[in-house]
Amino acid sequence: MRSIRLFLYGIPIALILLLVAAFVNASFLSVAKKNEMSIGTIGEPSTLNPIQQADSASAQVAGLMFNGLLKYNQDLEVVGDLATAWDLSQETTFQFGSEEEAAKALLFLNEHQSSNSASITTIAGNGKNLALTLSQPGLTDSENIAHILSEAGLHPLPFPPLDKGSKDRQFKAEPIIRFTLRKDVRWHDGALFTSADVAFTFHAIMDERVASPRSSDFELVSSLVAPDPYSVVVRYKKPFSPALLSWMQSILPAHILEKVEPAKWSEIYNRHPIGTGPFKFGNWKTNEFIRLIKNPDYFRGSPWLDSVVFRVLPDPLTLQLAFQTKQVDFWAVDPWAVKSFEKDKRFDLFSSAGNMYNYIGWNLRRPMFQDLRVRKALAEAINIPQMIKYIIYGHGVQSNGIFTPKMWFYDPKVKPLPYDPKAAAALLDQVGWKPGSDGIRMKDGKRLSFTLLANNGNEVRRDIATLVQDDLKKIGVEVKVEIYEWSVLLKRFVNKGEFDAIVLGWGLGNDFDQYAIWHSSQTHPEELNFVGYNNPEVDHLLTDLRQEYSCPEIIRLAAKLQQTIYEDQPYTFLFVPEGTSVMWKNSYRIRRPGSKLGEWIDSPVTMTKAGWDYDMEWFYRPEYIPKIPATQIIK
Amino acid sequence: MISFIIRRLALSVVLLFIISIISFFIVTLTPGSPYPWGELNPKISAEVKANFRKKFHLDCPLHEQYSLIMRDLFTGNLRSIKDDRPVMSRILERLPATVALNLTSIVISLSFGTLLGVTAARYSRRWQDALGSFIAFLFIALPGFWITYMVVIALVKGFGVPILGTHSYGIEFPNSLASGLDTLWHLLLPATILALGGIASQSRYLRATMIESLREDYIRTARSKGLSEEVILYKHALRNSIRPIIAGIGMLLPALIGGAVVIETIFAYPGMGRLGYEAVLERDYPTLVALNFVVAALVLLGNLISDLLSAAVDPRVRLK
Repeated sequence: MRSIRLFLYGIPIALILLLVAAFVNASFLSVAKKNEMSIGTIGEPSTLNPIQQADSASAQVAGLMFNGLLKYNQDLEVVGDLATAWDLSQETTFQFGSEEEAAKALLFLNEHQSSNSASITTIAGNGKNLALTLSQPGLTDSENIAHILSEAGLHPLPFPPLDKGSKDRQFKAEPIIRFTLRKDVRWHDGALFTSADVAFTFHAIMDERVASPRSSDFELVSSLVAPDPYSVVVRYKKPFSPALLSWMQSILPAHILEKVEPAKWSEIYNRHPIGTGPFKFGNWKTNEFIRLIKNPDYFRGSPWLDSVVFRVLPDPLTLQLAFQTKQVDFWAVDPWAVKSFEKDKRFDLFSSAGNMYNYIGWNLRRPMFQDLRVRKALAEAINIPQMIKYIIYGHGVQSNGIFTPKMWFYDPKVKPLPYDPKAAAALLDQVGWKPGSDGIRMKDGKRLSFTLLANNGNEVRRDIATLVQDDLKKIGVEVKVEIYEWSVLLKRFVNKGEFDAIVLGWGLGNDFDQYAIWHSSQTHPEELNFVGYNNPEVDHLLTDLRQEYSCPEIIRLAAKLQQTIYEDQPYTFLFVPEGTSVMWKNSYRIRRPGSKLGEWIDSPVTMTKAGWDYDMEWFYRPEYIPKIPATQIIK
Repeated sequence: MISFIIRRLALSVVLLFIISIISFFIVTLTPGSPYPWGELNPKISAEVKANFRKKFHLDCPLHEQYSLIMRDLFTGNLRSIKDDRPVMSRILERLPATVALNLTSIVISLSFGTLLGVTAARYSRRWQDALGSFIAFLFIALPGFWITYMVVIALVKGFGVPILGTHSYGIEFPNSLASGLDTLWHLLLPATILALGGIASQSRYLRATMIESLREDYIRTARSKGLSEEVILYKHALRNSIRPIIAGIGMLLPALIGGAVVIETIFAYPGMGRLGYEAVLERDYPTLVALNFVVAALVLLGNLISDLLSAAVDPRVRLK
């Protein structure tokens, strides 16, 4: 009897007491912070193997554990990371009908070497072949030489084309990159980093069993050799200038993975990898956190932080709450909240334009969107400044094409179309779309009405769709908005190219190569030119850009590309949102190695072209001041 | 008894087979398909996609996919599309946190629910009963996520208390008591909120059966014998009302494993609910099929346990 009562009242009372005790404990916890950085991520990383990952959460974590041969510096210029130097050249081969003709050509070129502008460094005859080494890769020089030779009556034989449908080539142009590697790099287990690791990484990416999403970056590599432990020579099948950037790819340890079948990597490596970076893997509790521990033997010096923890916080609202309770140190502020954080003296804010733009893609296979005047009218009728004001609270700029302002080849001179609903209406009248009885424009018995798709869970895109619907109604265009879950949107509509119009965004790297998005050969199911854009001039520009190595020329071609596509309006280019991050004031400072050995530069966290978190490995908490003789510190 | 168990187990195998087919087709016939590369990525070539589909047999006809998935499930080779790890280890690693959360929540809802139910029945149609009913209907009527957000916002804005995950981060704990209480806090808070609905329904249910029991003849007999009200209430009425609850304990088995999506997501708690929810969004077929299979097996097992328990506590129930 008594025991029943004890049971009935005892357990609830005990539970309440425990809850109160736990709450009191939690609210009086010491604020003595560990020397640890805490970062919140919404998504759970899928793998920490940098050649198998494609999601940003994985890349963010792996970024602190690995190095590539090259990297961007804080001004987004390419600098060496594991490589101390890299050298570009090209081997151009001409083939002749006879050995005599080849010998003549050799003699001719040797005589005229000074007179032609080409950057020939060596010429070597080999039977019927003539191999030239050029100091600058690309097609221009080789084409000039071929031209000079034919003028002199020496006719090189054609090579078969590399791609189906392209022309015969007069010569074979094979760019070569020679990397010299650092000698002081060790893997986290103590083994030395050598060229064998680079070779292994390349072969692993190309291995079908690995199913690496990076393989398309390396398709054009014809050979990769490691003549000695600290150099790597990569030879390409044809000029492909974006290839250099692909060597920012993180390098994997050959000594661990070489002997293991790729199917087993997920067990032995992918969740506790070994890298060369400033932080080592600590532990990973799925759906909770990944902790990285400082690598005291990092080749640039030991980081100041003891550890970095990435917490998986799937709910955006609680991510904000975690920041306010100092459970995570940074937060990507939602646009609506930026203003209140700006006013608050307790916080430091970092804003920068992103590399992402939002757009409406018009399916150019649909007859109604095939007329450029219609697309232009639609673009002019959409009030983009209003979108920027109300959707992202003014934190963004209007897009003027396929590149974003942060990119070094971006052309600011392309004028975005103005918001002008009257001109838009006039243009539609002119094309023959006249208002019908219900206010919706008609032409040949068809109503100017279409379905606009967006994906569920992305509020910005949903809001864009709503505003577009409203704006276009004003000029007599009927828009039906349909929202689908992401994977449904892809499979049913985007991959098949079966939609009228769609709200999407491109998040881009600093890469000028947009072949996959705009080339007319990329319009098949599942390819990314899903709007079906086809402009031969753009096709040429895209191929030329891929083969161009000189920066001024790249800027010229990229500007032309941006202008041409903007004039064609296959998308209505909307806006480039700005990203803002916030941290508690002075919770971190940066002390990074200077240009001279033993010299350190101390600064507050600041915005750079590469982002506020560029030097994250050198962040430190002011309460744990790194011990270095003050004379070596530049403030 | 033994033959009953054997027959039920044999029947369960057949049922599980049918369930596995249905669940496989529900999962794979859902619109959409796995796309593990996040947003559209210009670097992902058609070749990479084809390679990926081959690796996970997504290029086979559905019936072949089904037999491959089942083969892999039983040989332990079934791998998740998301991270290429064996599905069973993904499920097992969430087991401790999930069981801890759900068990705590079951204990809370049973203990508070019983207390509230008994009190409401005892003071039936008086203010205690009205208050109990009000609270119960409030918990049933308010959406769980709304209560959760309100509690969370109040705790964070009002007290600055860390609430997410299974423990506080980046803090040096003075002693193991503090760190233990911290872990307990991160368990009790979501478990309590998760239990609110359970408390409400449990108390309503018990109140109804108790009131019915209290009207029975044997209670009148007990009263006329002059037994104290407490003995009548706890010894006679409660005992006779609690049988359905004991029978229901078997049904709690799947609830122990099955997750609580909303609470786990808001509290960033690493439980089974998030595993399943994220697998649905990612169209991670192997994980979904395995998860459905495990939960279905537990439901069948729970049913069996319920029947056995009922037979054990109630002599009127016979197993045939």
